[in-house]
Amino acid sequence: MGELRTIPEALADAARLPRGITFLDRDRDTVRSYAEIDATSRGVAHALRAAGLRRHDAVAIVQSDPEAFLTSLLGASLAGLVPALVTPPSTMVDLPRYVESTAGVLRAAGARAVLTDATFAPVFEQGRGACPDLQLVIDRGALETSITTGLDASPTLDDLAFVQFTSGSTSSPKGVALSHRNLASNIAGVNGPGGLDTRGAEDTAVSWLPLYHDMGLVGIVFGALFMGVPVVLLTPQAFVKRPIDWLRAVTKYRGTISYAPTFAYDLCVRRVKERDLDDLDLSSWRIAGCGAEPIHGPTLAAFAEKFAPCGFRETSLLPSYGLAEHVVAAAVAPRNRPPRVAPIGPDLFVSCGRALEGHEIRIAGDDGRPLPDGNVGEILLAGPSVMVGYYRQDALTAATIRNGWLHTGDLGCLVDGELVVCGRAKDVIIANGRKFHPQDLEWAVNEVDGVRRGRVVAFGVPAAGRADRVVVLAEPKGLAESESIVDAVRRRVSDAFGLYVDEVVCVPAGTIGRTTSGKLQRTAAKLAYLRGEFTPVGVRVES
Amino acid sequence: MSYPASTIEEGVIDVLKTVSRRPIAPTLESDLVSDLGFDSLQVLEVIAELEDRFDISIPLNDMPGTRTVSQVVAQVAALVDARPNA
Repeated sequence: MGELRTIPEALADAARLPRGITFLDRDRDTVRSYAEIDATSRGVAHALRAAGLRRHDAVAIVQSDPEAFLTSLLGASLAGLVPALVTPPSTMVDLPRYVESTAGVLRAAGARAVLTDATFAPVFEQGRGACPDLQLVIDRGALETSITTGLDASPTLDDLAFVQFTSGSTSSPKGVALSHRNLASNIAGVNGPGGLDTRGAEDTAVSWLPLYHDMGLVGIVFGALFMGVPVVLLTPQAFVKRPIDWLRAVTKYRGTISYAPTFAYDLCVRRVKERDLDDLDLSSWRIAGCGAEPIHGPTLAAFAEKFAPCGFRETSLLPSYGLAEHVVAAAVAPRNRPPRVAPIGPDLFVSCGRALEGHEIRIAGDDGRPLPDGNVGEILLAGPSVMVGYYRQDALTAATIRNGWLHTGDLGCLVDGELVVCGRAKDVIIANGRKFHPQDLEWAVNEVDGVRRGRVVAFGVPAAGRADRVVVLAEPKGLAESESIVDAVRRRVSDAFGLYVDEVVCVPAGTIGRTTSGKLQRTAAKLAYLRGEFTPVGVRVES
Repeated sequence: MSYPASTIEEGVIDVLKTVSRRPIAPTLESDLVSDLGFDSLQVLEVIAELEDRFDISIPLNDMPGTRTVSQVVAQVAALVDARPNA
């Protein structure tokens, strides 16, 4: 592995190149050179220092706009602060309720400041009482950013680069703390000859992924910044509204690298109209990465078939496996090969290739011992990409990283030395690329009138190639009408998360168990539900 | 081309039925998420379809407050009226 660099060092190097980031918007495309991004970020860094923030202070970044997000994060990094990345509210979510749930994240981060925009700043001002460490709510747009020289803070490789709160739940937030060394090591592994084999001058990355998640932020933007690759960015909203805009951007900018979860390939198969194919030229696209949620082989095959007339090659598809706790990627399939599937039990799963250079993958049994090839067990990862830990949570960190091995909670096996992932981290519900934590849903449902507090279980039932079916089991209080509870539960979850609960089942009191230590027996309840063992009190089933 | 209110209502309901993956019977009072089961992604799909059908541009920033079918109809009607050549 070559010389490892911190974010400010990589940014300074990129600023010498005649390249940068193009931000696509409906009305205008904005081109920013890396030199301009460097200058703006330095301005932000100065302003944050001038506002009284000190080295190692945590600053929560809550921004929807990609350019503002990026210069906020880079500015905080240049100032030697610890940027804490927080998911901004999605459309259709109630703002005050968003701030209420985000307060838990700000407390976990010990954030001294929130760096946000003019829309969210007043809402955070109001919610400030819930966050004792929070001293400043800063509107990024109002910062004076003209002073760009004379910064004295330069983080070392072992300082924290950022803390990602966006993959944890809001009810019990977990911040993934990554050092500059973690970040640089992962980028080197992913982009090296055994991975994407990225070439600064010849490649162009195109992405619509949100920057507050690891795949868009590290997989695309930091990868490109470190490797000196130009980037073209669309917003996630623009993509989901018109999936073809992603493919048009690849066409127009001769994109070579782009990553997305399975659902995005599925959206293109379903929603790009035949008559629009003529204008697409996807022949430049050499790395069509796929990851972040379970990879569905038939969806990728359908995408390759549909877009073959546009010059798309199936061998460009690059299934990958990773998680925020390992920066972004842990395994990447070999280039120039169609996705390979492996039968595990009755199902077919997609191979994600070997560990990154300088990293290791192990499959462990229940006793923690390594299993031979072909046996399914927990995926463990070791190497320089394993996170520093969960921010300010030593016990949780010690339980997750043991003897240098990161315990992912995901299930997989090795087939011919390649990783095949066949089960996700337990309990997470995935709908259209968004992950929901059952406890967040349960906490929200606990507030519903007529529901017995603490007697609520939420889980997802995976459906092949589609969003999970979301199921909530709840015990009604006394004689509460189950029909009205069903409606109220749906409404509460949709208000808080913009998520539809496919099935709400009212179950008799005493059905939902707890362990002797008071932990909710979610898995037991889910299995009983799947076996049809519940006697529902007034069920209403849809779809 | 301009549309009478009833046509806009029919058009909106038609789009909702096309985009939904389950059989639905939307009324003006239906809430897109909690009654009709749309997720945030499908809501954007609805917006894209409405834009195509009515030749309008719906600003995303206006959407967070829009939850019921009648709100969608009202918003589409206002945008249709505001078109330069309406």
